[in-house]
Amino acid sequence: MRRLGTSVTMLFTASLLIFVVLRVLPGDPVTILLGPGNRGIGEEDIQEYRAKMGLDKPLLVQYFIWFSNFLRGDMGNSLFSNEPVRNMFSGHIMPTVQLTLAAIVLAIVFAISLALVGAIWPRSLVDRVVTFIASLGMAVPTFITAIILLLTFGIFWPILPTRGYIPFGEDPIGNLKLLTMPAITLAFAAMAPILRMLRASLAEASSSPWTRTAEGKGLLWNRIVLKHVFPNALIPSLTFVGITFGRMLGGAVLIEFIFAWPGIGTMMVDAIFKRDYAVLQATILFAAIASITVNFIVDLAYGFVDPRLRLKA
Amino acid sequence: MSTETSALQQSNLLRRVWAKPYGRISITFILLIALSALFADWIAPFDPNELDTENIFSRPKGKHYFGTDDLGRDLFSRVLHGGQIALIMAFASAAIAMIVGVIWGFIAAQFGGWLDEILMRTVDAFLAIPIILLALILIAALGTDIPILALVIGLILAPATARIARSSVLSELQLDYCNAATTLGTPRLRILFREVMPNTMPVLIARAVICAADTIIIEASLSFVGLGINPPQASWGSLVRTGYEQLFNGYWLVLFPAIFILLAIWSLNSLGDQILDVLDPRSES
Repeated sequence: MRRLGTSVTMLFTASLLIFVVLRVLPGDPVTILLGPGNRGIGEEDIQEYRAKMGLDKPLLVQYFIWFSNFLRGDMGNSLFSNEPVRNMFSGHIMPTVQLTLAAIVLAIVFAISLALVGAIWPRSLVDRVVTFIASLGMAVPTFITAIILLLTFGIFWPILPTRGYIPFGEDPIGNLKLLTMPAITLAFAAMAPILRMLRASLAEASSSPWTRTAEGKGLLWNRIVLKHVFPNALIPSLTFVGITFGRMLGGAVLIEFIFAWPGIGTMMVDAIFKRDYAVLQATILFAAIASITVNFIVDLAYGFVDPRLRLKA
Repeated sequence: MSTETSALQQSNLLRRVWAKPYGRISITFILLIALSALFADWIAPFDPNELDTENIFSRPKGKHYFGTDDLGRDLFSRVLHGGQIALIMAFASAAIAMIVGVIWGFIAAQFGGWLDEILMRTVDAFLAIPIILLALILIAALGTDIPILALVIGLILAPATARIARSSVLSELQLDYCNAATTLGTPRLRILFREVMPNTMPVLIARAVICAADTIIIEASLSFVGLGINPPQASWGSLVRTGYEQLFNGYWLVLFPAIFILLAIWSLNSLGDQILDVLDPRSES
């Protein structure tokens, strides 16, 4: 319950922040909408338009109208095409969901297998390679990974299509082929922090007294790692999946842009160039809500996996 | 603690980082990149914006070490000059992030109570929004001049810095020497700046290094989307962007700027890690 309270407070502060930041920015929506220097539009027309859009009310009132509409699913209309932002979202959400899910599954699989390899043969060459991959993954910006993949599998060894999107329903294989590169790119970025955390907790669990007891019983080392060390190390790493999620949403924007993947990210870059603040406001609030929600779920899962961590009511 | 001992502590910190293989490699790379950017005007064989229409899309060979681009401009010279922008941005943004973040965190830690609560909830709210998205929107609205870019990126990195500064101050304030100073009647601000601050320095230095790396990532990402430094001015991000557009005309156009970005970010991140590692008492063994 307390965690729910924290999440809700965070949601309010984040939305207030987004609202205020976007309102302080130069560029009056009405002027943009009516076009600068349009003839035949007098001061009264502008005032009338402001009133129609509710822009003449006090800021705090505007904020509450905007936020409560948002929660009811009304995200406002695009300043550009006047299309409801909600429709634009539903047209773009599936590619993003597919990309993010594929990437998070890949990231968790990569991170766990690499970390296990490193833990079974500590201080070996393999372990060093894993360390190197982890530090590289932290350092490489997503668009660079994307370009390296494009160069490798699109040009030097062209086995994958480079850009575009086909809905899964129309051509499942074509869809998966196109998904491969963006998903690996995003997974690589998401994997690094999880891998680092997992390695640290594996190392800590490896030096614990109960590991020594297991060793003393004469169990094989890789069996100890799999059966005793790994389950204990997994729990603290869980939180990192939540923290990584925010990073992933940011990374997804660039990745979608590079691979012409028509998701929320591509829609957002488009909106940026059109200065469509209604769409931007909705997208960024959506991203904040998504990352707060995921972190909340992870928090709950945490308490579920490890009862010691449940907050006392 | 007097200033001499804290200076000693810092040279000690540098020496201990240098003693580690990764520390040594990353410091060397950072120095190489910084020097090549500082002296770009002397090292670069060509003017970065000089057109040579005879030699467009020249492969890396002869006098063009990294090849040339779609307008025959020498890529090596452009990468070095792009390094200047990265260097300026990294310094400026990290400085802004540190100044704003440290003041933010110190105030929260020192005063506590409702002020702490407000300041930290604001930090939480900022951290819930993906950094790149925030940067994209702010830059789209404010424009893409270098000072604005540096200011925006610095401010975006400030909240996370504030959290680090606050927790490092709080953990120091619990220690005996702070209690002793309070008992002796030392003014609180004096304790904060003369006693606590020197001890939090290494953590803050590590954070500043990471901020510099993040700045390079954000600037490059923004320029790549077309919202950062605008062509023809060469920045690493805009060079990668040009290379990406010309992907099928020459791999080198994207490869070399990408390598520079990678090296810079990797060595800064790794240096930050090494500093934190040296500070961790458990790493002694």
